[in-house]
Amino acid sequence: MNARYFVRKLSTLSVTLFVTASFNFLLFHVLPGSPVQLLARSGHFDAAARAQLVKLFGLNRSLVAQYFIYLKNLLHGNLGYSYVYRKPVSTVLGSAIGNTVLLVGTATVITVFVGVWLGVVAASRANTLVDTSITVGSLGVWSMPDFFTGMILIFVCGVWTHVLPISGIETPGLVTGLWGHLGDVGRHLVLPAVTLMLVNAAEFSLITRNSLVDVLVEDYMLTARAKGLSRRVIIWRHALRNALLPIVTATALYVGMVLGGAIQVETVFSWPGMGLLIYNSVEQRDYPVLEGCFLLFAIAVIATNFISDLLYQVLDPRVRRT
Amino acid sequence: MSNIVNVGGASASDERPTVTRRPGVWREVWRDDMGRTGLITLGAVLFIILVGPIIFPFQSQSFGTSSASILQAPTASHWMGTTELGQDVLRQFLVGGRISLYVGVMATLIAIVLGAGLGLVSGYYAGWRDTVLMRVTDFFLVLPTLPLIIVLAALFGQSILITSLVIGLTSWPQTARIIRSQVLSLRERPLVLRVRSLGASDLRIMGKHILPNVAPLIFANLVLVLSGSILAQAALAFLGLGDPVQVSWGTMLHNAFNSGAMSEGAWWYVLTPGVGIVVMVLAFSLVGHSLDRVLNPLRRGGR
Amino acid sequence: MSLLEINDLSIDYKLSKGVLRAVDHVSLCVELGDSVGIVGESGCGKTTLGLAVPMLLPENATVSGGSIVLDGQQIVGLDEAEISRLRWTSVAFVFQGAMNALNPVQRVDRQILEAIRTHEPETSKQDAYARVLELFNLVGISPSRAKSYPHEFSGGMRQRAMIAMSLACRPSLLIADEPTTALDVISQAQILTLLSELRHREGLSLIMISHDLAAIKRVCDRIVVMYAGVVVESGPTEHVLGRGGGPNAALHPYTKALIRAHPDLRGERVLEEGLQGHPPDLSEPISGCRFADRCPEVMDICRTQTPPAVTLSPGHIAACHLARKDPQ
Repeated sequence: MNARYFVRKLSTLSVTLFVTASFNFLLFHVLPGSPVQLLARSGHFDAAARAQLVKLFGLNRSLVAQYFIYLKNLLHGNLGYSYVYRKPVSTVLGSAIGNTVLLVGTATVITVFVGVWLGVVAASRANTLVDTSITVGSLGVWSMPDFFTGMILIFVCGVWTHVLPISGIETPGLVTGLWGHLGDVGRHLVLPAVTLMLVNAAEFSLITRNSLVDVLVEDYMLTARAKGLSRRVIIWRHALRNALLPIVTATALYVGMVLGGAIQVETVFSWPGMGLLIYNSVEQRDYPVLEGCFLLFAIAVIATNFISDLLYQVLDPRVRRT
Repeated sequence: MSNIVNVGGASASDERPTVTRRPGVWREVWRDDMGRTGLITLGAVLFIILVGPIIFPFQSQSFGTSSASILQAPTASHWMGTTELGQDVLRQFLVGGRISLYVGVMATLIAIVLGAGLGLVSGYYAGWRDTVLMRVTDFFLVLPTLPLIIVLAALFGQSILITSLVIGLTSWPQTARIIRSQVLSLRERPLVLRVRSLGASDLRIMGKHILPNVAPLIFANLVLVLSGSILAQAALAFLGLGDPVQVSWGTMLHNAFNSGAMSEGAWWYVLTPGVGIVVMVLAFSLVGHSLDRVLNPLRRGGR
Repeated sequence: MSLLEINDLSIDYKLSKGVLRAVDHVSLCVELGDSVGIVGESGCGKTTLGLAVPMLLPENATVSGGSIVLDGQQIVGLDEAEISRLRWTSVAFVFQGAMNALNPVQRVDRQILEAIRTHEPETSKQDAYARVLELFNLVGISPSRAKSYPHEFSGGMRQRAMIAMSLACRPSLLIADEPTTALDVISQAQILTLLSELRHREGLSLIMISHDLAAIKRVCDRIVVMYAGVVVESGPTEHVLGRGGGPNAALHPYTKALIRAHPDLRGERVLEEGLQGHPPDLSEPISGCRFADRCPEVMDICRTQTPPAVTLSPGHIAACHLARKDPQ
């Protein structure tokens, strides 16, 4: 892939990041009134403490001055100060990020495998009962809100039976070695990951199926068959390779959705990640933490979009700029 | 031309078929199994939530009189059991459905008007207007939806109106993109070029020639946006950002979760509103996907 | 023994509105080294017939009668694994509209390589690639273009690449379906020249399916005319499409109409006549001759009795009641 294109994409990325940061500023520091007002609204500090904070963080300065301070802080990794935890936001986020990455990462891997596989099955038997069942089933699962799915799983696996833990990331007070600890986390990971996986696998299977069905009627598919290639090679090397393109595009949208899902799932299962942090900070009106989380989520989606754009360049020779 | 099936040979042209006004669209959706199921389910759901509260005039806000009436399993007097405050679940369900639907519809209207409008303008004028609008659209497409909705609701309030506005404002980009690409191809059609050279005003062309052709596409997209909006409202309400006074299905689930109904095993409290959401969204999705299939017949699969 | 023997073949399509017989009791023979052109209008069944040989028919099509014997092997009834082995090695297919016939995300040389490695897995990578370059040379594409993607080729080059690929496994028979449609005139001429050359140099047996009489006249020794699923006339191209009269000339009114509709660029200007009407609905039962409704020389008997195939002269057959009126 062309270096010039890469550089151009990189500069677009930078602009987008900058605009996002500014948008964040607009959202949290301008629109709902001044930060001083937000500080007051949160109800965490008495008047004296507020005055102190205002002086410390220069919250009284002009909007423009605040904007530049904000940008400068961002570049230094300073995301503000949590009202509730009385710690820098970055510290508060630090521990949560890892847990969310674990959850979302695991769920994504399963999602892609299950979703694409189901989509392939549905497409290769298009318009039969199998296809219709998978399609309708996927539509049905997609219609279930993540949190509701989670609640059902809690009932089935945690209340009526007790096969899996339904809350937190580890059993409190458990004393065991490293492997035992990993196993404990693993068992706590199952339900949240499965919940998160279900809705998104449905979406992937629908996209894969439709994309593959579009590809299967193309002329080059008949050529592949005429060449005497095995069915497996035809589906995987020819059909899927072409159908992959819309799937890669869909992945960019997926990340936005899975983050939304993660918020719901972490809340339902009390999984100590950024999603739960968002829920708590909303409840407690800890605006700086909310702001930090939102910014990180936005950056994650932007980065993923960037990567999938590059991937698309690699995968589709027709799109490559020479 | 002959009605002999063209066997083998060249596949259909690579372009999507241009969508023209087809009065038989709904009939085809009805004929499609998926569409028919969706329409029937939709009818049933709408009937239940619009007419239900009138037929079942239980007191929605009355509280239980003794501790025994809290979180009761379904009985003859309370078909779907009671809440943690002794209220009748069925009644809340019937009333709450309206709210979920209302927010969904309002949000969708905002999204569609904004999205289709921008898409129309962007696709029709092309040029710098298109570039600017598309940059803006792309930016909003990139922001993760639910987190953005949560932030907006947390900062600006939780009333039904604000919730509708917030959800609508986050849903318009997809519609804009879809409509824009359709308009871009429509504006090159001979009819449009002819009318333009005759000096028809832009507004007239957009309204009389392009809009009717895009309408079916808007509609298919609308239904899917509606499904998404209902889910978004439910999620917001569950996370505690719904209107606390007007209890929607999401709010019911929020209450169920936070009142410990789960550990008490009060499945009726969870299943009733939850299944309601799923069925309503599924009905809209089935209709939406069926519409999409009808309008894009190239994808029916098989040579 | 003929290279390809199609005997009394019938192919049905299952549609939502019923069953459509696209090919009705068709018989056809191709000898080693022959080149046969199958001509007819859209929907006459020629492509279905062509697709049937390597068993590439779509899911809703079934062979409801007759046989296909290729290289001594019965094709009808083979399972997918067996027919896959024969595909490309015994019979190769070149599709029309090479626009999309090549995998857009795979390099052209790799696509040809794939065919070779699939059917001759013992071949070393170097030998296989050498063959790929050889094939490029054969069809007149510079080997420096080998690593290109299909979209980087012009239409004519793509078609040539397809032909090159089709020869990768040295098939006995090549079936080309409308190889020149969707190409500009110059490319068309190039492809036809190429096909002729391949025939003479490589001893290729060829079936060319086309609606273009001029192309068939150029490349094919024999011509088979199809209409509404049946063969209405077949014989040496020289005779059927030639200017002479007598028992060698085209007899069937449809053939004659086709010839009239194809102006000869270098010949005298003759008024072209199109044909009115359209072919019959093949999902309905048909009595008598299928061409009856459009035939300018129709007789009463044509509407009630299906015309039998009559030999007019060695190798020249016509299925027309007019044939029997001619003194033998």
